[in-house]
Amino acid sequence: MSERHARLPRERSGTSWQTEVEVTHGIGLHARPSVTFTRLAKSFPCSIEVAVDGSGEWLNGKSIVKIMGARIRRGARLRIRADGSRAEEAIVALGELVRRNFDEDRKLGRADGRAG
Amino acid sequence: MAVPVDCSGEAYRGTPVSPGRAWGPVHCARRADTILVDPVSGDPRAVLRRAVAAAVDDLRRLASEAAPDSAGILDFQIEMLLDEEILTPAFARIAAGEGPLLAWAGAMTAYINSFVPDDRDDDAFAARVADLTDLRQRVLDALDGRPRADFPAGAIYVGADMPPSVFLAHDWSAGGGIALGAGSAISHVALLARARGVPMVVGLGEIALADGNSALIDGDEGLLRLAPPAVEPVPMVVARRAVPPLGPLPTGDAVTLGVNINSLADLDAFDVAAVDCVGLVRTEFLFPTAADALNEERHVAAYVKILARLKGRPVTVRMLDLGGDKTLAGVAEGGAASLLGLRGIRLLLAHPELARVQARALLRAAALGPLSVLLPMVTLPGEVTAMAQIFAEEEARLAARGVSIARPPLGIMVEVPAAALTLDLFAAAAFFSVGTNDLMQYLSAAARDNPAVAPLNAGSEIALFRLLDQVSASARALGKPLSVCGDLAGEPQGLARLVAAGFRDVSVAPSRLAAVRELLRGAVNADAGAGVAHGP
Repeated sequence: MSERHARLPRERSGTSWQTEVEVTHGIGLHARPSVTFTRLAKSFPCSIEVAVDGSGEWLNGKSIVKIMGARIRRGARLRIRADGSRAEEAIVALGELVRRNFDEDRKLGRADGRAG
Repeated sequence: MAVPVDCSGEAYRGTPVSPGRAWGPVHCARRADTILVDPVSGDPRAVLRRAVAAAVDDLRRLASEAAPDSAGILDFQIEMLLDEEILTPAFARIAAGEGPLLAWAGAMTAYINSFVPDDRDDDAFAARVADLTDLRQRVLDALDGRPRADFPAGAIYVGADMPPSVFLAHDWSAGGGIALGAGSAISHVALLARARGVPMVVGLGEIALADGNSALIDGDEGLLRLAPPAVEPVPMVVARRAVPPLGPLPTGDAVTLGVNINSLADLDAFDVAAVDCVGLVRTEFLFPTAADALNEERHVAAYVKILARLKGRPVTVRMLDLGGDKTLAGVAEGGAASLLGLRGIRLLLAHPELARVQARALLRAAALGPLSVLLPMVTLPGEVTAMAQIFAEEEARLAARGVSIARPPLGIMVEVPAAALTLDLFAAAAFFSVGTNDLMQYLSAAARDNPAVAPLNAGSEIALFRLLDQVSASARALGKPLSVCGDLAGEPQGLARLVAAGFRDVSVAPSRLAAVRELLRGAVNADAGAGVAHGP
């Protein structure tokens, strides 16, 4: 994880950072994108939560069970918030991942991008 | 079971239960251990955690060998199982008193049901249903992952008793037999042994015998003979009992003759062209483990196979009748107490997850052939309505997923006296089937598999036939089909009295088909026999 896109809007409140991004990927967060998203989220030490389309319900962004269960479709707006160590880095990385369509084009086949 | 070797050639005498003789090496039964609570922590959650970990190991092994395409799916499944959140709802169910099997099955099913597509949905999420269903099953299989208590083919099984699941898991095509120290002539395993033609003797007392001994089991004489002299060769399985002399049967309407199915192997045990229907499929015997019983696809596959074999003839499938001597590790512990407790439909309604799996499979199979559903151990009309409600809900769920289904007619087993005496209140049932074995057990308040009270059970035939007269009249008044699927229909005198009481629809074990057909043919030919007095 490295890119820090200045384009990605973000807000800060104490140790908590938030951003909002639209899902433009073909189907939405189905199996493979959910794996990619939650694996990246789990690589950060801070707490990460996601709310869909202005919902007041914050889902654990590290839980694929919760992310899949939310059935996040194309066109949905995701609010991603992180609290704690490396929170800003985390929301930027996750926001950019969504913008890059979960790197689906680059990593055909493998959900996690490992050599396969 | 360490026992001294006895080579004296002595014989044990017991009660003959299933005819024929078999000679072979002895297999002494050991207690099968079922792991439902963690032996160290005493915690069922630890059992579930361990099963999930085992499923992850399996998936990782598969992923390491998989093509990139399927590796993506496996990765997804692994991530799902590694996510602690997947256990949360199951743990909540365990905290509410469910066992790990049903807790996991129920929690996963609820999660999977949330993926049923709505009108704006697309296939990508609905397609996950298959992956998640597979996950659900992997963990169930892991929960059931203990070694099967099977024994060598051709062996004589020696033990105090034998669970039906052990009988069903065994391959009897190589012969063998059953010698029980306790046991009963009217237990379910006895019923299975007679249907399959496996020689069986019960009530032999303490048997001093070890693995590696040879023994002869004589199901006609009720004998177990140790180390029979080698000079006297004995065929593996000899002569079935001859058909008893014909009892007089009244004539009149033609009798519909069906066959009872306990296993898919039974499908090859009769000539399809010579039967009118399958009158009873005992599904609790088809699915010997909880992982099987909770697997919708295994249910569907079994029902479709039966329908296909019957070539358009009607098939009546009884929902899981667990309890008593029919146990299911992790779901139904059985035991004598359950004979008057949580059994049959009571158990299904108490564990709706189990009922829902089977209901979905029956709805799917009913779309493919003439299938009816029989509800076991019904006591009150409300139980039928409750089960009909489950079918209606699952029908709606499957329809939403675009699955092809048909609602099968729901009938009831008439085996609880309360139901038999109030049959007129059961207009909600589509048909009735009398289970004579259980009805007699409950009429006499004498457990069918307790030798100490067996004479009371057998002696209650007068009460049984008085009640059957009434049942027959009530069914006629309601205009509902009525059949008999108990052992009584396979016995000459029993059959004669049933026909006299107005029963025209019977279903018997494959091994009794020929004899019963012979009896019925005799009745048709003996026109003058009409009007003979029968029964008490």
